[in-house]
Parts: sequence; C-alpha cells; structure tokens
Amino acid sequence: MSANEDRLSATLLRPLGRSGVLWYAFVAFLGTIVAAGLFAWFFQMWRGFGVTGIRWPVYWGFLITDFVFWIGISHAGTLISAILRLVNAGWRRPVTRCAEVITAFALMIGGLFPIIHLGKPWLFFWLVPYPNQRLIWPNFRSPLVWDFFAISTYLTGSLLFLFLPMIPDFALVRDRSTGMTKKIYGLLALGWRGTTGQWHRLEVAMQIMAIAIIPVAVSVHTIVSFDFSMAPVPMWHSTIFGPYFVAGAIFSGIAGLIIAMAALRSVLKLHEYLQPIHFENLGKLLLTMSLLWGYFTFNERLTAWYGNGTSEINTFQVTQGGSFAPLFWTMVLVNFVLPILILGIRRFRTITGCVIASIGIVIGMWLERYLIVVPSLAHKYLPYSWGTYSPRPTEILITVATFAAMILLYTLFAKFIPIISIWEMRAGEHPAEDLIAAAERRRLGETHA
Amino acid sequence: MTAVYALYTTGDAAQRAVNSLRAAGYADRDITIISAAPMEDYEFSHIGRESYVWYFATGGAILGFLVATWLTMFTENAWPINVGNMPIVAWYPNLIVMFEMTMLGAIISTVVTLIITAGLGRRMPKLYDPEVTLGKILVGVAAPGDARMADVERALLAAPGAELKTV
Amino acid sequence: MAHRWGMAVDLDRCTGCGACVTACHAENNIPTVGELQASRGRAMHWIRVERYFEGEFPEVSMKYRPVMCQQCDAAPCEPVCPTYASHHSEETGLNAQIYNRCIGTRYCANACPYNVRFFDFFNPVWDKPLHLQLNPDVSIREVGVMEKCTFCVQRITAATITAEAEKREVKDGEVKPACVQSCPSKALVFGDLADPESEVSRLAESPRGSKLLEDLGTAPKVTYLQGVEHA
Repeated sequence: MSANEDRLSATLLRPLGRSGVLWYAFVAFLGTIVAAGLFAWFFQMWRGFGVTGIRWPVYWGFLITDFVFWIGISHAGTLISAILRLVNAGWRRPVTRCAEVITAFALMIGGLFPIIHLGKPWLFFWLVPYPNQRLIWPNFRSPLVWDFFAISTYLTGSLLFLFLPMIPDFALVRDRSTGMTKKIYGLLALGWRGTTGQWHRLEVAMQIMAIAIIPVAVSVHTIVSFDFSMAPVPMWHSTIFGPYFVAGAIFSGIAGLIIAMAALRSVLKLHEYLQPIHFENLGKLLLTMSLLWGYFTFNERLTAWYGNGTSEINTFQVTQGGSFAPLFWTMVLVNFVLPILILGIRRFRTITGCVIASIGIVIGMWLERYLIVVPSLAHKYLPYSWGTYSPRPTEILITVATFAAMILLYTLFAKFIPIISIWEMRAGEHPAEDLIAAAERRRLGETHA
Repeated sequence: MTAVYALYTTGDAAQRAVNSLRAAGYADRDITIISAAPMEDYEFSHIGRESYVWYFATGGAILGFLVATWLTMFTENAWPINVGNMPIVAWYPNLIVMFEMTMLGAIISTVVTLIITAGLGRRMPKLYDPEVTLGKILVGVAAPGDARMADVERALLAAPGAELKTV
Repeated sequence: MAHRWGMAVDLDRCTGCGACVTACHAENNIPTVGELQASRGRAMHWIRVERYFEGEFPEVSMKYRPVMCQQCDAAPCEPVCPTYASHHSEETGLNAQIYNRCIGTRYCANACPYNVRFFDFFNPVWDKPLHLQLNPDVSIREVGVMEKCTFCVQRITAATITAEAEKREVKDGEVKPACVQSCPSKALVFGDLADPESEVSRLAESPRGSKLLEDLGTAPKVTYLQGVEHA
C-alpha cells in the first residue's frame, strides 16, 4: 500500500513543484487578456456607460448575458460534488475538487457582473442592508436585492465547501515542505492532524454542507431567472423561467467541467485518475441535461406560439425566423442535436467526443442567455419603440477577459493546490481490492474492459 | 510529558494495536489515532462518533431565519415606501431573503462548529508524525506517565509492523 | 389634499408638430446627444411623438401619438428598483425618480412597457451659449442614472406651494407642464384626477378615451382620446 500511496501523492503533488517556461508564458498570456478586460471596464467607468453598445430600448446586453452565463457555469460543482457525495457515488472522487473550483471561480466572476453593468458601479454597496446615513434601506421587493443575498450565500457556501476538504491536503503539503512554504500551508491547514475525531467531524460537516448547498444552488439560479420573469416583458414573464434556468445551469456546468477535466488530464498527465469512465458517466449526465434542456425550450416556445399573444408572437418570430434566427438555430444545433448524436451513440461518447459536445454546449448556452435577454428587450409592446443591439469593443473585451480569467484562476489553483483531493482518493481506495467484486471495481473507476 | 506512539502500515495492524491498548486498560478517549484518510472500514475510526454538529447547524438555520425575518420586516416598516402598489411588508419577496439567510446560517454555524470542535486554528498538539501523510497510521497515548510507559509500549508492539517512537 | 395628477391626450387634435418634445427639452434640461449618439439610440425624449402609417399608397394616413411617462398607479418600474430610486409619491400620485439614489441598474427601463425611461450614457454637454438657457428649477442628471418625464413636477410643486401660501386649493389649469403649455392645437390636457370637476377627470370618462396597454395592469394615468369610426 505504501508504494501506491507514494505514487498517488507524488503524481498529484507534482504540479506544485517547479513549472516550465511554457506555464509562465501561458499565465502571462492569460494575464494580459484579463488586464485588457479590466482596462476596458475602467474605460467604461471613466468615459461613461455610452462606450458600450447598450441603447434604448435594449438596456441589458452582453454584460447581463455574461452574468447569467457564469452563474450558470457555477452549478457544476454543486451537482457533482454535493449530489454525488450524498448518493455515495464512488466515481466522483477524482472529480469533486475540479468541479468545486469551477463553482468558486465562476461565482466570483459572475458575481462581478452586477457591479460591472451598473451605471454607477462605485455605489454597488447600496444593495447591502446596513444602517447608514442615507436613511434608507435596500428594496427587498427587487429581484436585484434577492440576487445579492442569493449569490453571496452561494459564494460563501461554495468557498467553504471547497475549502473544508482542502484542509487535510494542506496538512499533507505542509508535512512535505520546508521553510516559507511549510509556514503558509501550515497556516492554511489550521493545525490539522487527522485524528479520528477530526475526520468524523469533517465528514459530518461536509454532509451538512452538501445538503445545504443543493437548495441554495437551485435557489440562486431561480433568483437570477427572477430578474427576467418579474418584469412584464414579452417572453420574459414566464413561469417556466425558474426550472428552465436551473436545468440550463446544470447543463452548462457539466459541460464546463468536462472541458476542465479533459484539459487537466492531458496537461497534468492525470490519465490514471481521470479515466474514460468518468467522462463516460459525465457524458451520460450531459445527454440527460441536453434532453431536459430541449424539453424546457420546447415547452416555452410552444406556449408562446400557441398563445398567439400580440407582443409575444413578435418576439417569438424574431428568434424563429427573423434577425435572431441564425443565432437561435445554431443554439438548437449545438445544445440539442449535436449532443444527442455525440453523447447518445456509444461509439462517439469518447473523451474527445464529450469535449467537442461540451464546447458546443458552452457556446450554445451563452447564446441561449443572449437570446433571452436581447430579442425580448428589442421587441416590447409598442412597435415604435422596437430597437436593435450590437455589442461594442468594451463589452466584447470584458466577455473574452472573463473566459481568460476563469482559465487563469484555474491554472493558478492547480499550481498551488492539488487539483484532485488526495485524501478522498485514499479513502476511496479502501477496502482492500480482494473484497470487492469485479463489477463493483469497474463502477468505482477503472477503464472499460 | 512524553507521548508514546507507533506507526503502522495497515489498518488491520492499527486496529490490533488499539485493541491491545484497550486490553491494557486505556479508555477510548485516551487513545489517539491519526491517519491520512478517514478509515471507515475499521472499527477504530468510529471512536468519538458522537457530535452535536447537526444541532448547531439547525440552530444556525433558525438564527438566520429570525434575523432575515426581522431585517426585512423592520426595514420595510422603518421606511414605508409605495412601490408598484405592493404592500409595505411584502411577504413573497421577504420569503426569498429569509430562505437565503436561513441556509447561510446553517452553513456558517456548521463551519464554525467544525473549527471549534475539531480543534482547528489552535496550536497543534505534540502528538503527531509527518510520516502519517505517507499513508501510515499512528496509534498512541498522549501522556501515559512514566509508570505506565512500559505497558503502552508492550501493547503497541503487540501489533505487527510497529515503529515505536516517543515525542 | 392628496393629488392625483393625470393627463389626457387628444389624438384627433395632435398634428405631430413636435413642439411638446422641444418644450420638454428646454424645461427639463434634457441634453441633445448629438448626431452620432442619436444614431446609436441614445436620444432622450421624455415625451416622444410616435408616428405610425396606416393604409397603402396612395390611401396613406399618418397617426401621431405622443407618449410620455404614464405615471402608472401600479408601476412595474417601481418594485424592481433596488435602491427605491423609482417609487410612488403619495402626495402627487406620480412615479418619482430620485436621481441621487439611482445606481443605474436599468431594470426599471426594462420593466417599463412603454419604454419611457432613459439612461444617461454620458455626462450632458451644452455648447455655449446654450448653457445660459438651463432651467434652475431642474437638476442636471449625471452619467449613469435613469431619468424620465416627471409631469414637470417642479411646476406642480411651485403651484402647490403658492396655493398653500395663499391658503387656497390649486386651480384647475393653473399648472401646465411644458408640453401642455406649448401644444398649439391644445391636444394635451393636464390636471388633478382626484378633483372630479377638473377637465382631465371629465376627459378620462369620455367615450373616446382609452388607456395605453391597459390590459397589462399598470393603471396608467394618461387617457388617450380618439374618435372611433363606426361602420
């Protein structure tokens, strides 16, 4: 067992050691894009919001699309980590931290957008209910205030959910290092030893957090959907938005996770731990979510088309056959048709296949958010006030920078903290091999026969 | 005060060591077992199973619920402003905020309870060996006293593969 | 006495001349955004004249409809504002916009079915000597806030204060917003809907009257009068 142990921690701790020039170059490249995005935002604050493409009557555009998109991506962690933990699915072990990291960083990025899109971003703290000399409190009837509570709760919960199982791994790194590194990881490990009492308490805490974080995740994206469904805008004021958004969030989250895992697998040489079975299982989940997405989309559009409401039908037509049609049908292709073909046919459900489907889905889900936000605002009730929207460099740059920021944060995380939870892998290796039947062994994560 | 412990390479051996320490008259709470992963398949991992984390979590949730109810009701009544002909104390929206703060209360109280009861954030006790991170299991007694030192050593050596140490 | 200020717009009298739009700009310090920004959809016309064509050539007729903030009694723009910048004023019955509380989320503009809310995309600029013409009773809005028609609340407040000082009620027709004052065909009528004797209350009951997007449940306070031809 010792040899196995050593190999496990040796492989998973290798990224924490020296990195090659390529790593630094990659980080510098991403950092430049992120810096450019920050510059674009400061330019927007300094010059005025008019540098964006926002106009009458389309007052929300790329930035709100990005907001909903990134909050959606953040649902990866909750599904994999919390739900699979609760149903005791052994194959989740190498995947949980990858997923939780996506959640944490996607939430941080997504949570920035309610600030970025403000006309006066420096006053964002007015949404926080604290006694102040303005003698006024935030309006609890506003979905934006609900957003504040939901996203901060989810962010706090996710960060803690990510941090708690990292404590034993910090202790591991602390014990293997010297000098300043030992001090820093020692601080992070909070004096963890690994006594039976500590393990038990950690497991119970993780259990409670898993149970608590799932309803929070569902509520977060439902509340984000309320930003739209509470307004009397054609095709926004729909009761299906809550479940639609949550399903879409889980959908895009799993796709993001598959891409991240595939990248980690090839870059960090984790072939032994991130095996085809993991992608196979996630691929099947992704297929299920794709069907669910198709179901919700059909529901929403059938109701609008059948109901023939004057304003709704205008908005409907503009996505179906009008100016937004190319984007709409691309979205249907990459969100529904391609995933069913790639993930539904066993031969194509390989790691490469899953990654291709996932990239398509990430693009498709971004398009879905865009197609919810813009066409409805461009075609409200009075035809004289219909309009158009096209993004300008500021918004495009900020959008691209968020993708770069996500990859950058992920890269930095994998450098300093083991991306696969070492103690969870160890815990999953027991009981001894001869005690499990071959079928069970396959389920727990070995390659296909 | 010296602590006596031994490192074992298998969970089986560690279990044997714990059993012989018990036979030597040591209560479960005096025996320290440290491992790099929770070893759920062995009986010794269930020592110290009772915990009150659930009660604290529920308590935190209730606290969050009450705070949110007070916050929304109090602020809405403090500055009663008519928006869209909605009631001054609007329960539908308030429920949303109350739900979020309930969950936040549960989460934070769970983490705080964990940190306090697991002894995190405090100075690490002496009884520890970094070799545990290589996969070995530490079984020992923190302060047996000079008189009982020999008993402990004998009990620990009874299990196979023991590396006896003191600290 | 609490007022409920409302308007009546007679579409049969409106010629589409646009004097109301110009007067509103002058009275409320609304900047002209310039050709480039106007082409980018940033023009801020608190009252606008919507123009629709009816029929096919050569039997074409034009319909004009001035649209301003309807000061809805159940305004969808109010509950969505996180900072209470958009709220309902109990003394005037108007939808009030507090520029100092606005942080520019633009949710209110999305929620407004009439699209009568406007965002300040840039700080306003008046080329000299136009800055001498600014109305001192109306604040200048800075970049990042929402603005909209206020029924010239500065005129309403002035008249209310004067009436109170003189220990009398505000007379019907004493307050005229800039658009009402400048309309050459007297298509716009302004008054207190809480006063059953006022002209606007009478017109609100007219068989020619209807409200814009009434089925949305916003309870607008502007009545549009239009003769309906019976076959």
